Amino acid sequence: MTLTSCLILAAAVMAIGLYGLVTRKQAVAMLLSVELMANAANMVFAAYGHFRGGPSAQVFVLFALAITVAEVAVGLALVMLLYRRHGDTTVDLASEARQ
Amino acid sequence: MSHLLAITIAAPAIAGALLLLVPSSARLAMRVVSLIGAVISLVTAILVATQYDRAQGGLQLLETVPLVPSLGIHLKLAVDGWGVALLLLTGIIIVAGVLASWTVARRDKEFFLLLLVLVAGVFGVFVAQDLFIFFLFYEIAVLPMYLLIGIWGASHKVPAEGPFTFTWKRFDVGSKEYAAMKLTLMLLVGSAAILVAMFLLWANSGARTFDMQVLEQTKFPIAVQHVVFPLVWLGFGTLAGVFPFHTWSPDGHASAPTAVSMLHAGVLMKLGAFGVLRIGMVLVPDAAAWWAPIVGAVAIVNVLYGALCAASQKDLKYIIAYSSVSHMGVVMLGIATMNAAGWNGAVYQMVAHGIMTGLFFALVGLVYERAHTRAIAKMGGFAHTMPVVAGFFTLACLSSLGLPGTAGFVAEFMVFAGAAKGSNWWWAVPGVLGAFVTAVYVLRACKAIFWGPPPQGEFAHLEDVRRTEWAAPLVLGTLLVVFGFWPRLLLDFIDVASQGYLGRLPVVVALAQVVSP
Amino acid sequence: MSPSNLAIIATVAPAVAALLLLVVAPLRHKGAPAAWVTLLGSLVSLGSAIMLLLGRVDGGADVRVTTPWIQEGSRAMAEIGVLIDGVSVPMLIIVCLVALCVQLFSVAYMHDEPPRAYGRYFTLHAMFLFSMNIVVVSPNLLQLFAGWELVGLTSYLLIGFYFAKPSAAQAAVKAFWMTKLADMGFLFGLLVLFVATGSFEWTSTPSAQVATWVTALLFVAVIGKSAQFPLHIWLPDAMEGPTPVSALLHAATMVAAGVFLVVRADPLFAQAPETREVMLWVGTVTAVFAAGLALVQKDIKKVLAFSTASQLGYMVAALGAGQAFAGFFHLGTHAFFKALLFLAAGSVIHAVHSNSLEDMGGLRKKMPLTTAAFVIGALSLAGVPGFAGFFSKDLVLGSLEGKGHWIPWTLLMGSAFLTAFYMGRVVIKAFWGNESEKSSHAHESGLAMTGPLMVLAIPSLASGFLGGWLASQVKAEYHVHLGLTPIVASSMAILGIVAAVVVFGRGGKAPFAGVLEKLDTFSLVDRTWASGYRIGLLGIASLAGWIDRYLIDGLMNFTGWATLEGGASARKLQTGLVRDYALMVVVGVVVLVLIGVLR
Repeated sequence: MTLTSCLILAAAVMAIGLYGLVTRKQAVAMLLSVELMANAANMVFAAYGHFRGGPSAQVFVLFALAITVAEVAVGLALVMLLYRRHGDTTVDLASEARQ
Repeated sequence: MSHLLAITIAAPAIAGALLLLVPSSARLAMRVVSLIGAVISLVTAILVATQYDRAQGGLQLLETVPLVPSLGIHLKLAVDGWGVALLLLTGIIIVAGVLASWTVARRDKEFFLLLLVLVAGVFGVFVAQDLFIFFLFYEIAVLPMYLLIGIWGASHKVPAEGPFTFTWKRFDVGSKEYAAMKLTLMLLVGSAAILVAMFLLWANSGARTFDMQVLEQTKFPIAVQHVVFPLVWLGFGTLAGVFPFHTWSPDGHASAPTAVSMLHAGVLMKLGAFGVLRIGMVLVPDAAAWWAPIVGAVAIVNVLYGALCAASQKDLKYIIAYSSVSHMGVVMLGIATMNAAGWNGAVYQMVAHGIMTGLFFALVGLVYERAHTRAIAKMGGFAHTMPVVAGFFTLACLSSLGLPGTAGFVAEFMVFAGAAKGSNWWWAVPGVLGAFVTAVYVLRACKAIFWGPPPQGEFAHLEDVRRTEWAAPLVLGTLLVVFGFWPRLLLDFIDVASQGYLGRLPVVVALAQVVSP
Repeated sequence: MSPSNLAIIATVAPAVAALLLLVVAPLRHKGAPAAWVTLLGSLVSLGSAIMLLLGRVDGGADVRVTTPWIQEGSRAMAEIGVLIDGVSVPMLIIVCLVALCVQLFSVAYMHDEPPRAYGRYFTLHAMFLFSMNIVVVSPNLLQLFAGWELVGLTSYLLIGFYFAKPSAAQAAVKAFWMTKLADMGFLFGLLVLFVATGSFEWTSTPSAQVATWVTALLFVAVIGKSAQFPLHIWLPDAMEGPTPVSALLHAATMVAAGVFLVVRADPLFAQAPETREVMLWVGTVTAVFAAGLALVQKDIKKVLAFSTASQLGYMVAALGAGQAFAGFFHLGTHAFFKALLFLAAGSVIHAVHSNSLEDMGGLRKKMPLTTAAFVIGALSLAGVPGFAGFFSKDLVLGSLEGKGHWIPWTLLMGSAFLTAFYMGRVVIKAFWGNESEKSSHAHESGLAMTGPLMVLAIPSLASGFLGGWLASQVKAEYHVHLGLTPIVASSMAILGIVAAVVVFGRGGKAPFAGVLEKLDTFSLVDRTWASGYRIGLLGIASLAGWIDRYLIDGLMNFTGWATLEGGASARKLQTGLVRDYALMVVVGVVVLVLIGVLR
């Protein structure tokens, strides 16, 4: 496995996440897409750390993962609220702030 | 080493903090605490004056506490001759202001708290010798005004007219909220300009410091100076009511409650002029010398235009407010002359106008409280029922029009003499004309309100000054006369500072002074 | 005691009285004590002035004591102090003596006022004397200006003494504005002098051009203060004040301050022949014009007011001819006899409760003392030989003759005739002729009022003989000569009186009375100023007010409006749909990446 192939994989995951983020209406799906994108970034970090640098990159990724977990928790909490309020998780429902 | 300056600033702030501990029902205690805070700061201001060595001059009573040394920020307090005079003015006005707001009924704790915080900021500006601290105190002084006018102010109607009628749909022009918002927004735009100028000075100071003593010695590149000066002039100038950024002032003063008008016109507007003088003229003198003719020309517009606008007003508070615009023009004119007579006159006018306009607003407050109207056309003959108010009002009018024997004369005369001596001698002409127009509108107002047959109907039994209301007019009125007959009480301080700063002015200006006839 | 201390006491004593009355309100509110305090202050002033005079008679030298007043750049820009010389000491005597007489007269005259008003009246009198003495003893032009403005203030407050009357209020404000308008000239003159010479001394010698400018500007102030054409219009209106006030301020002392200024600044005026030329003509025109209008006034005080303007015209003309001493001498005698005339008129008004000449008549039997006083004053004013006015008027006219100003000389001779003629009219109408309803109930005033009249009658009769002494004091030349001027002047006076007896003795009207009355009621000068004020000042002011509210402030409102409207349009971008925001984030990232790549 080379650095290039790792980067290509990361780019592919990123593209999938981006596509999902733009096209999906369901909040959970959008959240998943965001997670994909975040993991793609982590992947690039880990790959560079493995092939070029030292262990600090790996440490960084571990931190990033921990933060991502927290982020997911917040995101899911928002989804829960959305569901409780509207009985559905379509994000277009959450446009009250426009008034 | 004494901590007089720190005490002067801290006294009102601590009194404000103590107010929070006083229960809202203890209304007298609340007032007493505020008054004590104000009086302590006045007493320390007087002590500062006695301790200041006039023979030596320069900055004295220095206190320094490093705050953020890496950024060159120090809590540096010291006082020069100008500062002494203005500290005294502020102390006098805040004591009078607290006394004048004795009868505030609604949310009085918050009112006194904001008043004291504001005045702590004012004291801070006059003694700060670090640009960062200067700005910090400046904002502390300016911002409480929003709440003070927005909550305790008074509204009135302004008929929609003119090419901008369509804006009336958005703004309730004349309401207290409108006045408070306009004032705050305009002053904040000014603050933004000051902030930019401040960082430009910091970045180009070499030593990366906000220390004004260091900045004074720094020779800034002329290009930087030419950016800094207009920013400082218009930034601070907005607060000093420089045309055309004066329009917050009439609405603001007319809407504000008595004590707030007193403090705002009496002291706060001076912060603006003081900023132009202390930062614009002293820190970037080369650009100042280049810009001075423009500053002076705009100041003349202020003097005459403000006076004419005042002459057209029918609302008592608007008359006084526009007269402030006119008189602050005299201050700016003095600053623009860049010579000793002009600067002395400018600072003296700050004090004179502060006391005079404080007196004016205190009396207008008294009249309004009784008559419940500010429309001059409805009044008349009030001297029969309130002779004391009439007497003090006349005194304020006389100082306003620059009658010898009042502080206003000394100030205006010095400014005009400075202007006549400078390279633009003709500045004195519109200045003197402005003083004449002032005579017209103040005496017309005085006659309309106080003279004439005894009032009938609802105004038949207006009460004269009550026992608790004597203090403010008495103190302010006496000082107007004392400073009018004995100007050296203050001028000795002011002059030594003007001398010191003028000594550092660029050769261009020094030459201009010699060459002028 | 040293002369400088005496002069300071003379100045400060009334100030102490005024301060005492202002601070200790009960004294003022009780009325009578206020009168005593003021009288005491004036008495101390007069005493000090007399001691100064005795010192000078003993050959005392000129004394000048000053102290720095305004600092500018570690040097004194302006000083205050006292100057004791041949001008200030006689003037001090005149001012204090007349003031004391007038105040004594007022004690009885104002007796019917409520105590508070009575107290206020005397407080203002004390303030006036203080201000006037500042003018008199001032060692430089700046202090003179300060006193000049302060007397203007007391004049304003005293004219407006009956402030409940709208006409009095209007007259007070008008007087202040008119004089303040002229005083701008004084201020400009001071500034020019200061810029040119660095001081406010009248002894300085600037270039001829500067001297012309300074004196011309100072003269503008004189026109205002001394009620010269065309700024004279405030003086007749000023008669709204109490009569003793008219006697002191608007006849004897304050209005003469303009003349005093020129006498003081004579070294400057001597360098400006152009200004003097103008002064000569302004004085002459005023003397004739005001005398003409005095002829048709129905109000006794207005006759005297126009007469004052006319006599001040004489003084100004003399100053214009370069004879400062002649002007000063006439100032002195005029102060006495005009104060006498006014106080006598006050006594009459007090008796008949009216100012109108129609309500008087036949008073000579009812009020013999007052009649005698008024007649003495009138004869002195008319310039009948032997009376004080004759000597000084003779000197004024003689100075014109000496300089060869024949046209002004002729005109002023005509005016001298008119003076005698209109004074004859007043005397005949008020004191001879038939009693009117009001005058039939009149009776002589008490000693408190007639006493001051008798005191003032003495200098009105005799002060003319002091000319030689006064001249020696101011180091001017003075010699009485029997020439063309005294003969013509005295014949004019006598002719005028005879003509008055002939015309008015039988209840006739003055020739040209119709024309003059029209001139008086139409009052073109008054109207011009009034419309200048209304259209010029108030018109521009309301325009400025409108512009400020609706254009300048409108622009500020527009800025706020534009910000809000712009915000409202920008808000449309906010759809509220999460996917749109996500898309924008993506687009943003792409743009950023592109920028990064392309750089």
